Amino acid sequence: MQDTELLHEGLALMGLGMGFVFVFLTVLVISVTLMSKLIGRFQPTPAAVPSSGNGKKATAAKSQNDEVLAVISAAVHRYRSSRRQ
Amino acid sequence: MDNLITLWEGSGLYNLELGQAVMILVGLGLLYLAIYKKFEPLLLVPIGFGGILANIPEAGLAISALDQAMEVAQPAVLHQIASALGATLDPLAGVEAWRETLKAIAEDAAAPDQLRAARDVAMNVGYGDGMLYTFYNIAIASGIAPLIIFMGVGAMTDFGPLLANPRTLFLGAAAQFGIFATVFGAVGMSAMGWMDFSIEQAAAIGIIGGADGPTSIYVSSVLAPELLGAIAVAAYAYMALVPMIQPPIMRLLTTKKEREIAMTQLRPVSKLEKIIFPLALLMLVALFLPDAAPLLGMFCFGNLMRECGVVERLTDTAQNALINIVTIVLGLAVGSRLMADSFLAVETLGIMALGMVAFAIGTAAGVLMAKVMNVMSKMPINPLIGAAGVSAVPMAARVANKVGLESNPHNFLLMHAMGPNVAGVIGSAVAAGVMIKYLS
Repeated sequence: MQDTELLHEGLALMGLGMGFVFVFLTVLVISVTLMSKLIGRFQPTPAAVPSSGNGKKATAAKSQNDEVLAVISAAVHRYRSSRRQ
Repeated sequence: MDNLITLWEGSGLYNLELGQAVMILVGLGLLYLAIYKKFEPLLLVPIGFGGILANIPEAGLAISALDQAMEVAQPAVLHQIASALGATLDPLAGVEAWRETLKAIAEDAAAPDQLRAARDVAMNVGYGDGMLYTFYNIAIASGIAPLIIFMGVGAMTDFGPLLANPRTLFLGAAAQFGIFATVFGAVGMSAMGWMDFSIEQAAAIGIIGGADGPTSIYVSSVLAPELLGAIAVAAYAYMALVPMIQPPIMRLLTTKKEREIAMTQLRPVSKLEKIIFPLALLMLVALFLPDAAPLLGMFCFGNLMRECGVVERLTDTAQNALINIVTIVLGLAVGSRLMADSFLAVETLGIMALGMVAFAIGTAAGVLMAKVMNVMSKMPINPLIGAAGVSAVPMAARVANKVGLESNPHNFLLMHAMGPNVAGVIGSAVAAGVMIKYLS
């Protein structure tokens, strides 16, 4: 009699425990997914964006610099050649 | 001549009991496994050595002042203890018989205040608690040592792979089936009359299947302190055996094609997500399962220290110096529970067998769950990573990686397996919380 009681208790613990572990981790999955989406929305991929933005700026600045450099060197070249004559 | 006899009667050889001798051999066996077979040496060296220390006859390293006094004190002291316990000693019986009666009374019949009075008598005469007994009370009976180790584990854990693919949490949940199936198995064994486990003891044995040393020690210190030695030894021995237990089960349950499945690259996870995750987990624990708060609270604390990046000194201490100190004390304290009267029983064999079953069922459940998820989801999931759901960080993940490489030498599953691996730690801590809630 007591044996079957013990067995029942074991079964109950198994069902309850396994059920609770699944429910808890499901809630965790949902909240983690939500959290990641929220963070993704308000702070769109913070690791990637600033670096790529900086990169663009850097390359833009660099190409501008190149242009200025080319103009200046052309002007210098013309000035020098005009003075030589 | 009398002095010589006294010296002989005080020697270890004269007082050595068979049980103690066997337990010293068990301690030496654990040291052999740790040193030559490299079975979790960080834990099994202190445990094995503690086991030897605890069984040195007459030294009383693992017993309280009162037990020590009852074991070796002069007859006059025994009379004082007897009066403190409210008993009288039969003057016709010998000293040895008095000791036995006193021990029986102290174990069963005595009221708490009588025990305290008897303890005071023993302390006054100059007997003290054994060193290992004190270690046990401070480190394990209070629950502190497993919790500090859990904090260190949190400080070492990277939740990145889990956050990149949160569904792997389900694999960590499925693998906990090993725990509960073993609880049922232990209860079944007592119902069949093979063993004699209460439901609390069955729960403490089942948690071996969580493959998580500190969790096992914590749960058994709460639910079944009398089995702690055997459970801790089984848990750590099987954690060392993960690379041998798991692969056959994994190969049996998967086809070669499934083992070859390549998984998509994990997305990068931002620092903010990693900082918020331990806090979110803590909030869920606070809301749904306060009984898991000691374990998961310390785990989240350690992880937050790691991820927030502003307390590097504390993180460093938690995952190095502190965890090492606590491991030494914890190992010796577990060793103090390797006493002949509780360890040399048929129940220990049952615990060893059930622990193995728990591991096997947990691995199988994780693999099967991963197969189901692979069929249902668009993203391919290699079933091998399901086996990593039985915590045992990072050993189980390495095993999944290794078995995957056997089938496809270009398929590296390690990072994918770390997700279910750390999910298993959370899952077994949740399972521990449920059992403590249900049974106490």
